[in-house]
Amino acid sequence: MDDLKTAEDARKYLTFLIGSEKYGVDIVNVKEIIEYGQVTRVPLAPQSIRGVLNLRGSVVPIVDLSSRFYGYRSTITRLSCIVGVEIEQREERIPIGLLIDALHEVVDIQQENTEQTPGFGAKIRTDFIQGIGKTHGRFVILLNLDRVLDIEELQAEDTGHVTAARAAERTSTRGTARR
Amino acid sequence: MNLDRMKQTYFTETTEVLSEMEHLLLEIEKAPEDEELVNALFRAVHTIKGSSGMFGVKSVESFTHFAENVLDRVRKKEIRLDDELSATLLASHDHITALLELHRQGADDPLDAETAARGADLVARLERHGSDARQKAPAGTAVDAEAPRADTEAGAAESVGVGSVNWHISLRFKRNVYQNGLDPFSFINYLRGMGEIVNCVTVLDGMPPLESMDPELCYLGFEIDFNAETTKEAIENAFEFVRDDCQIRIIPPHSSIDLYKKLIQELPENPMNIGEILIESGTITRAELDAVLAIQSEAVAGDGEPPRIGEIIVEQKIAPREVVEAALEKQKQIRAVEEKNKRSMRIDGEKLDQLINFVGELVTAGENVKQLAAQNGDGDLMESADRMSRLIEEIREGAMNMRMVQIGETFRKFERVVRDLSREQGKEIDLVISGADTELDKTITEKISDPLMHIVRNAIDHGIGTPDARRAQGRPARGVIRLHAYHETGSIVIEVSDDGGGLNRERIRAKAVERGLVTAGQQLSETEILQLIFKPGFSTAEKVTNISGRGVGMDVVKRNIESLRGVVDVESEDGVGTTVRIQLPLTIAIIDGFMFRVGELTHVVPLDMVVECVEFAREDFEGMEGGSFMNLRGSVLPFLSLRDFFREEGEPPARGNVIVVEYARKKAGLVVDKLVGKFQTVIKPMGKVFGNMHWLSGSTIMGTGEVAYILDVPRMIMTIESLAEKEGATV
Repeated sequence: MDDLKTAEDARKYLTFLIGSEKYGVDIVNVKEIIEYGQVTRVPLAPQSIRGVLNLRGSVVPIVDLSSRFYGYRSTITRLSCIVGVEIEQREERIPIGLLIDALHEVVDIQQENTEQTPGFGAKIRTDFIQGIGKTHGRFVILLNLDRVLDIEELQAEDTGHVTAARAAERTSTRGTARR
Repeated sequence: MNLDRMKQTYFTETTEVLSEMEHLLLEIEKAPEDEELVNALFRAVHTIKGSSGMFGVKSVESFTHFAENVLDRVRKKEIRLDDELSATLLASHDHITALLELHRQGADDPLDAETAARGADLVARLERHGSDARQKAPAGTAVDAEAPRADTEAGAAESVGVGSVNWHISLRFKRNVYQNGLDPFSFINYLRGMGEIVNCVTVLDGMPPLESMDPELCYLGFEIDFNAETTKEAIENAFEFVRDDCQIRIIPPHSSIDLYKKLIQELPENPMNIGEILIESGTITRAELDAVLAIQSEAVAGDGEPPRIGEIIVEQKIAPREVVEAALEKQKQIRAVEEKNKRSMRIDGEKLDQLINFVGELVTAGENVKQLAAQNGDGDLMESADRMSRLIEEIREGAMNMRMVQIGETFRKFERVVRDLSREQGKEIDLVISGADTELDKTITEKISDPLMHIVRNAIDHGIGTPDARRAQGRPARGVIRLHAYHETGSIVIEVSDDGGGLNRERIRAKAVERGLVTAGQQLSETEILQLIFKPGFSTAEKVTNISGRGVGMDVVKRNIESLRGVVDVESEDGVGTTVRIQLPLTIAIIDGFMFRVGELTHVVPLDMVVECVEFAREDFEGMEGGSFMNLRGSVLPFLSLRDFFREEGEPPARGNVIVVEYARKKAGLVVDKLVGKFQTVIKPMGKVFGNMHWLSGSTIMGTGEVAYILDVPRMIMTIESLAEKEGATV
């Protein structure tokens, strides 16, 4: 740490990619990171729920963040990972696995380097965003997990799978992906 | 930390004893002459006081003391346990329960004004009962406490009898005491160093006529009243040297009789014989006990039947009868505790849960080994895996059994509810309990208590009418509420029935229309009308009472029961009564499952809900997509293709299977691709995210580590029925 002030104000974030966008979650929420594998589909499940995974004897739901953010399912690649997080809602600790497209790194982001959520221009729902952090001169969208993983909202989601046509339509409106 | 755990035990045990106390009071109301019940009640209250004292719960101890006093008099038949006293004692029970809870929260010192006032009021009421008794029975405990010695001088006898504050020492010297160089006077003189000799009477009964008297022999006895702050043992020690040459009886001051009794009651509950209890409490000395034992063995040598030690002690006036009785009581208590300890053992719930979790993992691992062995094809390995599997199954059953408790405990709580509420409403209602020994998972008993409370209250409130109303209908004035439990196809059924007027379907319908739950013209079957009472916001009570009729109730009941994977149903017949039937799974942790595949996924249904499996060819079902009825050996069975229901893609196999499931006397068929077979299923909760998926009741992890889904059969059956009915209607 460079000086005391930084040490106090900096928080660690785990950053990863969903599609081509970089996101971060506060590391205190993260319990583990594992390779993608053996996720069992749940019939008639809400569309953002990719399935469930046997995580050391517990059955944990896997949320497809691509589906939650952009409305189309993530394509599994060698880089796909599951980030195990734990959130607390209505006084209950709920374990959830996040399906992400690629893992990035753990970064310190100083509070003074975070900005408020912009009112427009974001590619995902603004209430999902806790703030925008700056690291190595690039922006990271810091996620508000309580909103992203709002249980009642997830429960109420459509159970139908997003069709290929709809996914293609979404992709075209998103413009060119940054690489 | 250790003390915390002991305190926890204190809370648990006292809560249990309190519920016992309540139960006994209600039993005594029914059978006031039963002495055993009164004794048991006294013991319960006594235990509460004793253990509260031990753990320093002063608020409980000091209050319970008053109740104990009154009950002691009841036990001695000095006062009667009438309705009024019973009500006071029930209120005292509630007060003790409240005090205990306050102590648990650390809020009983000092007590809040309201609780303190309630306590004071109850103490006054209890004391009033006590003082009534004193007038009725002037010959209280004080007088008959200790019968005087037959050969004692009147003065001395009196001072013992009325319960003086003095010790009474009775000395009888042997003839040869002078010859042994001892002087009785020096011992009496020695006593003066320890306290004050209040009165000393010389007993000359042994003195022969003057002419035959031998001046070298001692014929004297003394009765001494001795006032000293000392122990029996210390007094006895004063006569240490003369012990062999004299008979000594030391009778404690009356004031210390209570002290002894208290000491005896406070002894730890270790196995002890009566003599040890008396010595521990300081009532008798070791030397006295030895003498008593000598007398006993002498008697045994004489004629077969040995006198009991307690009897000898009382006979020999070593200790007052009262104290010996207290010791006997204590011994009985110790034995009861010992027996209970032998019968059952208290286990920390968390430890048990942990064990069950491990057993769950073991079951999963065992299934895995079995599968691998089967894949491997090694005969010996398969056999040994099979043997292990059977053992694991037994371990699993044993572990699950540990969680099983009888439902009686839960039922008993309602005795008080029925009594209080029926009195409050001027109704006469008996509660009849049957099947109290039916066992189910402890977790379920905890969660079923509230729903049952609602149902029982409803039955009292709306089900059974006032005695006048009932007589007007030509029915007995006393109504009956029945709580009945029994096992049925892997589940437990609890029925709450009343012999009231039954549910009025017209009124239910009218109310439902008024509340906008159904439209006026809607066609409803009888059963459907009854089902309306489970709808949120439904209530037919004409006036809102403080018990039910607030429009919460049956819908909450239904929800709670469904969250336990159970179903609730109501039957009602005009003028005969209403029965609410709750069906619950026996356990919620591990079940025997029946596994099958649909598409690429594996699913499980509880094995005990499976009636049979029927194979069929796909073309038999041509043109019957979705749900409909099928013909099963002449009877009509609604069925559902899970492939369609789950919207599975891909080509179905040419031949499929129908699994016929049954729950709560309703059957339905599930069309699946492939049967896998029996599987020990450790239920894993699926998490809130899937809360809206009603077909799913949980999941399980297969030997391979993959997840399989447990179907909610009761809900599936309901879905299939309603789907099939719609199909049927359109045909």
